[in-house]
Amino acid sequence: MTSREAILAVIDVLESRGVPYMLVGSLSSNAYGIARSTKDADFVVELASHSLPDIVRQLGPGFRLDPQISFETITGTTRHVVKVADTSFTIEFFRLSADPHDLERFRRRVRVQLPNREAVVPTAEDVIVTKLRWALFGKRNKDADDVRDVIAVQGDAIDWDYVHRWCDEHGTREKLDEIRRSIPPL
Amino acid sequence: MRATELADMQPTLELIDDIYREKVLRARASSPGEKILDGPELFDWACQWMIAGIRNQFPHADADRVRAIVDERLALRRRLENHS
Repeated sequence: MTSREAILAVIDVLESRGVPYMLVGSLSSNAYGIARSTKDADFVVELASHSLPDIVRQLGPGFRLDPQISFETITGTTRHVVKVADTSFTIEFFRLSADPHDLERFRRRVRVQLPNREAVVPTAEDVIVTKLRWALFGKRNKDADDVRDVIAVQGDAIDWDYVHRWCDEHGTREKLDEIRRSIPPL
Repeated sequence: MRATELADMQPTLELIDDIYREKVLRARASSPGEKILDGPELFDWACQWMIAGIRNQFPHADADRVRAIVDERLALRRRLENHS
């Protein structure tokens, strides 16, 4: 199974079961920025009455749920890893957290067209806000690069009032301004 | 090669900005859906190259050993990224 097939299979199962979800992480920054290689697909899911083991079972024998659960430190939610057979690609499920921005980006999520189906992603503004937190508090250069690329590609389409409101809340405004200054005139 | 020749080969800031501009324009011409699926495809492609390199370096490694080395290298990359 290819990584692309694995992602499409997960989307199809979540859609067919009516599980509220959104694709996050580098796949969502790819949607609005410059595509880069990614070794995992991150999904935020609102499980409510849905069972993750049942979802993974429906995906079939090519998917295996790792019994070990870890914690995502910034929003304080749980992370469940699903291994995909014959590949090093992984699917990661994050439960929707109670973090105020996590809840707002989930409420504002949008549908995008993929081949023969749709998928759900956060808005470009929410990708920027989330990646800035990771860039600053997770100290990861690739997140800062993703933010720069989304801003450069989206140009004037970004709702800066919304981005600034959350950056002020999260203490990431200085990092945002630094990244914006690094973008060459386009 | 002399130091002056090496210095001539360094990319200028202008060139770096031009290359970035091209990438941005190409990204603007692609749909969000295409770019989402480019991520895993680039990963698979990179893995194929990594596997070819590992087979060259360890000609007697079987498929499971090659996969294990790929996973070790990806784990190393993750650690490096998280400490960047």
